[in-house]
Amino acid sequence: MPDSQHVSSQFDEDLSRLRSHVLQMGGLVETQVAAAIDAYTNGEVASVKSIVETDRRVNELEKAIDDDCAHIIAKRQPTASDLRLVLGISKIVTDLERAGDEAKKIAKGVRRIYEGGHLPAQYGVGIRHLAEAALNLVRQALDAFARLDAEQAKTVIRLDSDVDVEFKSIIRQLITHMMEDPRTITTSIDIITIARAIERIGDHAKNVSEQVIYVVEGRDIRHIKEAAK
Amino acid sequence: MSSYLPRALLFALLTALVAFPLGYFGKPWMGWALFYIGLSVQLAYHYRNFSRLERWSRQPMLDASLEGDGEWDSVFRRLYSHEKELLAKIEQRERDIARLIAAVHVMNDGVVLLDGFFQIQFCNKTAERQLGLDSHTDRGLPISNIVRQPEFIDYIDRRDFTRPLILRLERYFERVLSLYVIAYAEDSWLLQVKDVTQTDKLDRMRRDFVANVSHELRTPLTVLAGFLETLQEIDFDPDERQRYLSLMAEQSKRMQSIVQDLLTLSSIESAPPPENDLVDMGSLLDKLRRDAEALSDGRHQIVLESQGEGDLRGCEPELVSAFANLVANAVRYTPAGGTVTLSWKVAPEGAEFAVRDTGIGIDPKHIPRLTERFYRVDRGRSRDAGGTGLGLAIVKHSLSRHQATLEITSKLGEGSCFAARFPASRVAIGGG
Repeated sequence: MPDSQHVSSQFDEDLSRLRSHVLQMGGLVETQVAAAIDAYTNGEVASVKSIVETDRRVNELEKAIDDDCAHIIAKRQPTASDLRLVLGISKIVTDLERAGDEAKKIAKGVRRIYEGGHLPAQYGVGIRHLAEAALNLVRQALDAFARLDAEQAKTVIRLDSDVDVEFKSIIRQLITHMMEDPRTITTSIDIITIARAIERIGDHAKNVSEQVIYVVEGRDIRHIKEAAK
Repeated sequence: MSSYLPRALLFALLTALVAFPLGYFGKPWMGWALFYIGLSVQLAYHYRNFSRLERWSRQPMLDASLEGDGEWDSVFRRLYSHEKELLAKIEQRERDIARLIAAVHVMNDGVVLLDGFFQIQFCNKTAERQLGLDSHTDRGLPISNIVRQPEFIDYIDRRDFTRPLILRLERYFERVLSLYVIAYAEDSWLLQVKDVTQTDKLDRMRRDFVANVSHELRTPLTVLAGFLETLQEIDFDPDERQRYLSLMAEQSKRMQSIVQDLLTLSSIESAPPPENDLVDMGSLLDKLRRDAEALSDGRHQIVLESQGEGDLRGCEPELVSAFANLVANAVRYTPAGGTVTLSWKVAPEGAEFAVRDTGIGIDPKHIPRLTERFYRVDRGRSRDAGGTGLGLAIVKHSLSRHQATLEITSKLGEGSCFAARFPASRVAIGGG
């Protein structure tokens, strides 16, 4: 890059590094969610430990990115779309970190079920499908952020309502199970916790997408009814 | 060019020659005027050509031809042909580049070109598919923004590319990629992506196979060793002794048949392509039915169906053993009172030998793996029925050596159908 634009290019570089860090953090969260699904379907309790360890890295990154955001705002005083990017990022990292926490919750729920000597596999298909849909949302939300693609972000928001519907049907199914056979209540409650965590991951992906739309289009579409979008 | 200067001077001289007498003998201003007019004519002529060139140079199109007068024409023509050559050369280069890019796109390996900061410059279609990239939107993005696996980011950050990175993609489940990063040109990197899912799977199958063989042989061996130890230490009465010995004989026979099947499998694998002997299907079917009846011992109904005349060409012992294996399986897995149907159909496009039973059936999820070595739907039952776990693997191998395919359809509780389909080239129509 030419030297005459030294100051602004340094700024651009700072911003692109910030974005890369967010996506790096996103990659860690994706891995956590995928590992949690693995733990659930294959009963790999060992991966619970690695999820918890990854969580530490996620937390560190969140703090570092927040610091960077504050620095950029203080030092560079960004305006317009640059400012929106920095503000959006500081919200996106919060959602990513929480999605990671939900993955941790899933892993712990799985461990509880297996330690209780039960197999969650009998509810496997529904949960696994739900989890893969949620992971797909996270992935697409991060892709949308990487490409600053508002259209893809809107797709994520639409798909999230499918996940919510699926979540509700799983809950209904579990309630029926519990009524039929009270012995399954303990396991069912753990599975409800897991399903809830998965559904929350989908919600966080949706929040990330909303921030992407804010960054790209400058519109805040949170808490607006579907039709208005 | 060389003749231009003398000619221009000549024209000026001529003008001067005409103008001089006029100025000398007439009025001097008339001479000067004529001289100026002469020079102006020359200037106008040059200006006209210059403005043509000027107009053309704004948009040097080949279809708008460039024509000049006199001296200018040859200059224009040279310029024009130079331009034409240049454009043709550029077009040729562009075609070459497009061809190269097209070739890169159809490669089986993914290719991503990266700059010094690992930002995407180019990626081919395969890489788009493998890594979820999009060449339209992702140019200039750091690759780690899209391929976000922590392992990958660490690998890039470490800048140590002596070993490829094996990446298990959660982005597309169950894909295993091997990534090579190669430095090229100045401060540029090439990322080559190989899909090694298949190799990875083969590796796993080979490991499974060794583990399975050991396990299959160890089980009867443990039984044998146990009995031997018991017999050495305790004095049994002859009856009991006899019972133990016969159990031991059974186990050693089991081991023998496993080893025999393994040998058969490896000999089929390494054997040259089968000969083209004529196999008389009429008598073969008859023999298969008799074998089935003997094995069933009256517990099943054995039906023989035949459609069309035709025999097979191939290695008789291999085909006989493959067919007999299918028939024996059907009898074994069909409860008493069931029906086993052997059918032979000849059609212009090929022939089919099928064994249908009304037995216990197979869960569809097992069917794709059924011909894997030692793959068992139900371990206990298969062994009770005397299977080695290698039968279908041998059948599939023998058939594929005859370019035939084994098609399995089944429904739990309703029965199964194993069909061996032979291509027309393996069929001798009308017994000829």
